[in-house]
Amino acid sequence: MPALLEGRGVTVRFGGLTALKNVDLAVGAGEVLSVIGPNGAGKTTLFNVITGRVRPTEGSVMLRGQAIQRMPPFRIARLGVVRTFQKTEVFGPLSLLDGVAAGALARDDPDPLARAREALETVGLLDKADLSAQQLSYGDQRLLELAQALAARPAVLLLDEPASGMNHQESAHIVRLIGELRTRGLAIILVEHNMQVVMKISDRVIVINYGEKIAEGEPAQVRADPRVIEAYLGVDHSAHAHA
Amino acid sequence: MTRHRLATAAVCVALFAVPLAVHDEYYLHLCIVAGIFAIAVLGLDLIVGYVGQLSLAHAAFFAMGAYTSALLFVNFKWSMWLGLPAAAILTGVIAFVLGSVILRTRGHRFIIITVVFAELMKLVATNWVDVTRGFMGLPGLEIPKLYVPGLGAIDIASKAHFYYVVLVVALLAFLLCRLIVRSSIGRKFVLIRENEALAESLGISALRYSMIAFAFGAVLAGAAGSLYAHYVGFVSPDLFNFSYVTIMLIMVILGGKGTLVGPALGAVIFTFLPELLREASHWRMIIFATILIVATLFMPRGIIFPLVEHLLPQRWRTRHASTP
Repeated sequence: MPALLEGRGVTVRFGGLTALKNVDLAVGAGEVLSVIGPNGAGKTTLFNVITGRVRPTEGSVMLRGQAIQRMPPFRIARLGVVRTFQKTEVFGPLSLLDGVAAGALARDDPDPLARAREALETVGLLDKADLSAQQLSYGDQRLLELAQALAARPAVLLLDEPASGMNHQESAHIVRLIGELRTRGLAIILVEHNMQVVMKISDRVIVINYGEKIAEGEPAQVRADPRVIEAYLGVDHSAHAHA
Repeated sequence: MTRHRLATAAVCVALFAVPLAVHDEYYLHLCIVAGIFAIAVLGLDLIVGYVGQLSLAHAAFFAMGAYTSALLFVNFKWSMWLGLPAAAILTGVIAFVLGSVILRTRGHRFIIITVVFAELMKLVATNWVDVTRGFMGLPGLEIPKLYVPGLGAIDIASKAHFYYVVLVVALLAFLLCRLIVRSSIGRKFVLIRENEALAESLGISALRYSMIAFAFGAVLAGAAGSLYAHYVGFVSPDLFNFSYVTIMLIMVILGGKGTLVGPALGAVIFTFLPELLREASHWRMIIFATILIVATLFMPRGIIFPLVEHLLPQRWRTRHASTP
């Protein structure tokens, strides 16, 4: 099966700093791909490239075979690549219903509010539809972000640390939700620090360190990879220092 | 809902009855000026109140509309009936082109660029003497006759008659703006205002919809400027003075931005208030400035809506509080 979304040789340089170096990735419908790596490894930059907020210096991003890396963010979203943010982003004073309707409005859906209700129901916030986003708890705001993205009817959903700051119960809920979305045929790319979450729901994992992909494979395979252990635990520091 | 409609109908009747009740030429003059400002600030509310970009170029569009009408009249004898649409379209096109460049910025940078644009336009009006006659301005504009089939040419130059022209344009402007803000376009305006990056990431082009608001707002400013030029009969570079954009922003912000009704009411209040305070001429500007500072600091929703909610009986309050 050909990949729905594919990144080929993605390289991003900010001045002298190389944030991403020759990164390949591919994700298909109904698949969960996790991107892990230490802080500052380039995971969020990778998301920014895929969603059009950062243009890659080299390389391409293909959606269903179409190059999207030079398109503005709103156009990429309308083609079906939608993200959530690491720092919670909601439409503060608007009602959940009005805010979640945004993605449906953007696609000129004839009934945006109906799409918004469906999305709120999926994440379990329908009973709070008339509250404003800023009235919600932090955990509910993270779910709201997911609803916002779902109402845009994504084919590829990028989730930037959806379980961060969540308690055990809340993150279990997120894991269930992601599983449900996968069965609906969404391609999901996940950045997540919570390793329990990653190991539980990923079909494949890629590991990035200092902007380079250092490993890729099934969760168990990646967890056992010595390069990954080194990147995370920093073994052999002395060896590097002398190298 | 019926009570709402009843109130709307009552307001319309009252607006149309103004010349029947007010015979004082001076107060009629203030009503006309308030109406002209209302048209302009409805347009300003779209960009400031709905999209959330603070444009200081709005009075420049007003002045450009006035100059367009004046130049077409002086050079080609175009009456207001042709000059007004021409002014509206031209300012709209200029705003569209300008907006396509400057609406890529937000916040401080956008504000500064709009100030610079307004000042540039003032310099053009002042220094392009061959066309604009510089400081001398363009005098002699007239209010045209209104041709009604079956009735012939009606003279509308009297204040009582011209009031109706302004009122009709203002009501049309209001209905158009309301149509826009209640459509999917208006909902996108608000989403961009509340979180531009998020709106973009969900598929809404902030640039495209900001441009719609900016250009249509300028259309209304241009139309208002044209009415003003023909009503006053004279245009000069003074129209580009910063005080015009200040008063327009006061009308929008203290009237209650992002509500259309608020800024329109603000236009009326802040046309009449300075005049009513004229009795205390020494204190006028001080009183005015104090109201402004206090209201801007402590009343983010403007002064009208909070006041209305406070004065209305309890059973009305909750409903009004829910309207943004």
